Parts: sequence; structure tokens; C-alpha cells
Amino acid sequence: MLNYIWLSLVIIGILVAAGNDAWDEVTNPYRNGQELLCRFEITKSPSSLRDSWEGDLVIPAAEFSAFYGRPAAADIKQPVTVIRVNGSPTTMQLPAGDGTPSLWKEMMKSSTVKDRLTGAVRQWTLSEDGSTARIAIAIESIRFVKMKAVTQAALEYATIAVNIAIGLIGIMAIWLGVMRVAEEAGMLRILTRWLTPVTRRLFPDVPPDHPAVGAIIMNIAANMLGLSNAATPMGLKAMEELNKLNPKAGTASNAMVTFLAINTGGLILIPATAIAVRAAAGSTNPGIIIGTSIVGAGAATIAGVVASKLLQRLPRYKKALEV
Amino acid sequence: MGELFRTFVNVLAVVAVPLMFLAFLGWGAVKKVKVYEVCVEGAKEGFNVAVRIIPYLVAMLVAIGIFRASGALELLTTILAPVTSLINMPPEVLPMAFLRPLSGSGSLGFMTELMKVHGPDSLIGIMVSTMYGSSETTFYVLAVYFGTVSIKDTRHAVPTGLIADIAGMLAAVWIVNLLFR
Repeated sequence: MLNYIWLSLVIIGILVAAGNDAWDEVTNPYRNGQELLCRFEITKSPSSLRDSWEGDLVIPAAEFSAFYGRPAAADIKQPVTVIRVNGSPTTMQLPAGDGTPSLWKEMMKSSTVKDRLTGAVRQWTLSEDGSTARIAIAIESIRFVKMKAVTQAALEYATIAVNIAIGLIGIMAIWLGVMRVAEEAGMLRILTRWLTPVTRRLFPDVPPDHPAVGAIIMNIAANMLGLSNAATPMGLKAMEELNKLNPKAGTASNAMVTFLAINTGGLILIPATAIAVRAAAGSTNPGIIIGTSIVGAGAATIAGVVASKLLQRLPRYKKALEV
Repeated sequence: MGELFRTFVNVLAVVAVPLMFLAFLGWGAVKKVKVYEVCVEGAKEGFNVAVRIIPYLVAMLVAIGIFRASGALELLTTILAPVTSLINMPPEVLPMAFLRPLSGSGSLGFMTELMKVHGPDSLIGIMVSTMYGSSETTFYVLAVYFGTVSIKDTRHAVPTGLIADIAGMLAAVWIVNLLFR
């Protein structure tokens, strides 16, 4: 199943990206090759030292939205550098800034130079006092936006994955170390004894006093308290212990799937992240979602456990366990 | 009552880690375990585990990255938007249902964005944050947990995880509509 999901993510992703780019070729949302007329407010003119004008492009919101065919929030004031070749203005550059419209920011993600749009200056009429100019610009062609994004995402996420794994080393080490001490001291066995009636039903294949049960309980407890830094090492420890009982290496056992169902249910007493974001967004009652989240996560956990117990009886999944 | 519960859990979350260290190591010392040596011995495993999950995590996150960057999520939302009105789910929150199992940072960003637009105390704001709190990043958990023990045949883990996610999202929509609509 994971094979198919994984493959579909990749294939659907690439096909949709190709489709989006093809659609862009038809509709030309970035107005490739078209000229945009605007007013150039000059702050610096060329001198013997510098071969460029600097200043701001000023475009009224109505003109901008008419050109691109989508609503613009406000009038645009975008820094610009116009470069002079052989005495006449020929090319220009738009760097990303606070005044850059969101559409241009989007275009800058797949432009030739990152965070910068280049283009040609097609018309140039300087005012008499030399402080402004009417210019017509043709911004570089923006193509294959999604394909470029897909390529970048693939490389970026590969790096992110390694960083996440490396970041785990420290907390994994300290928790596994402390857990080993607890194990040798028989502490986990004391913990598991209290909850045996529950764990025996959830994990019938696991002996109630097995170290796996201790790690599972600690993982669930840490998750419920929102201590994800402590929960992950304990969960991985639990998986290793469950794997010792696994009759077929490389294949998930029933206990593993049930354990993961509890884990992905994400039962948490205080959803701290969501509350923090709500508070930051100016909520009058950030904690109002505690109750509703417990209902949601509770439903997810119960549904997950029931589903794992029912699905494990299906012939195809039973067969996968045969050695 | 609700306030008391919150304070209690918050205090518990703060003292949990130091208390666990104290209890485990202290009990170990009482039981004459060579705490330092045993702890180091256990800690050695940490490196191996982290390295072992790298290939699983890379494969999973790259696929998710491609899917998210392609704009497929927007397409899916557009297609399914008419269906969501049947369960009283505002179409704005629908991407959360797809994003939550795939990407932790992605769903966090989406939640923040939606609250900025609609306000945290609007129906949409409450619903999206409840949905965020109602599930875990299923595919990340699957990759990491199964990666640790080199499991390749995940059997019914994916359908189980997806059923749990769907149940969590539906329950979140239902309870928020019941209480706040």
C-alpha cells in the first residue's frame, strides 16, 4: 500500500506540475513578451561613474490589475535599476522588496536570477526636468514555474530529511541512555504492571512484562503531554522492542500497526502548537480548542485502533505475516 | 474546571522530563546499576537509529515535497469542494485535511495563514486549529517508526493511518459545528 501511495505522490505531482505549466503556456498569466507601461520616478541618474538610473516604478493598482487580469491590492512602488548601454537605456532589473507585488514575488521564484526580475526597456521618454520617465518594460519570460518548483522541492526535501534525522541524534541518544538505565533497574516493569489490563487487550501478541510495553506506555504518555522530543525516542525504542518479537523481519507485525495507529491518532491533552498560533493571531480565547481537539484526536485514535484490529484479519494481510 | 485541567497538564508537562530523569536514574542508583556506563551504552544506539531512518525519511519527504510543489493540492481542493458542503465543512479548511497527514510544517503554515485571513475566533479559525490538533503527521510517523526497524512491507499500517485521519477530521468538523456554529 505504501508503495502505491508513494508512487502516486510522485507521479501525480509531476503530471499535475506539467499540466499546470502547459495551462500557463496557453493562458500566459505572467504576460510573457508583453509590454507594461509605467512611470519611472528617478532618484539617481547616470554619471561618469555609474551607467544606470535608479528609482521606483509607480503603477496604479487599476493598471496593474488590468494588465495581469487579477486584482491588485494597492498602487505599486517597486525599486528598479535601468541600465544604459551605449548611451541608451536597454535593460532593467527589479529586485525583491517590501513594495513588490505578490505576483512578481511569485515570478521571482522561477526567474533567471533568484529574487530578481530582469527585462528589456522598450520605450523611454524622459520628462523635461529629468526626474521622471514614461517607460515600457517587457519582463523576462517566466515559464515552467511548477516544474522548477518540483525540482527544487525534491532536492530541498532530501536535505530537510537528512537534517531532521541528524537533529534526532542528540535527543535519541540521551533518552535511549536513560531508558536503558530504567530498564536495567526494572523500573519499566513496575510501570507496565499497572496498565497490564489495557495493554494486554491492545497488544495480545506482546507479553505484558516485555520492555516493549514499558516503552509504548512512556511514548503515549509523552505524546499526551505534548513532549514530542521525548516521545519520538521512546516510540522508536518501542518499535525496536516490538521488532524483537516480530516473527518476520522487514514486515510490520500486528502490534506495530496498532501502536502506530495510537501514535498517528495524535491524542494530546493540550494542543500547545495550535494554541500558540491562535494566541499569536490575536484570539480572545486561544484554549477554546482543547476540548474539540481531544474529541477529534480521540475519534482518530479509536478509529485507528479498531481499524488495525479489523484489517489485520484480512487474508492478504494475514498471508504477509507467514514466514 | 477547564482552567484547572489546563494548569494541571501544563505543570505536568513542565516537570515531566526532569522528574523522569530523577526517577529513572535515582531508581537505577538504588538498584546498584552503574548509571553512567549503562546510560552511555544505551546512548550509543541513538546515532545508529538516526542514521538508519535517513533513507526512509528522504524517500518519503521527497515524494511529499514534489506533490506539494506541483499544485496538486489546490487541484484536489477544487475538485472536492462541492462534497465538503454536504458535511458542513467550509471549503477553506479542506486543504488542511490533505496537508495534515503529509506535512507538519506545511499544515502549521496553512493554519497560521488561514487564521490571519479569517481570524482565530471565526468558525473557520476554530475548525482549522481543531483539525490541526486532531491528528499527527501520519506519513512522517510511518517513515520514521518503520525506518528504525527497517520495515518495508507495512501491511495494513497505511489504510489504518488514513482511516484514523479521516475519522479525526470528520470528528473535528462535527464537534466544531455542534459547539460553535
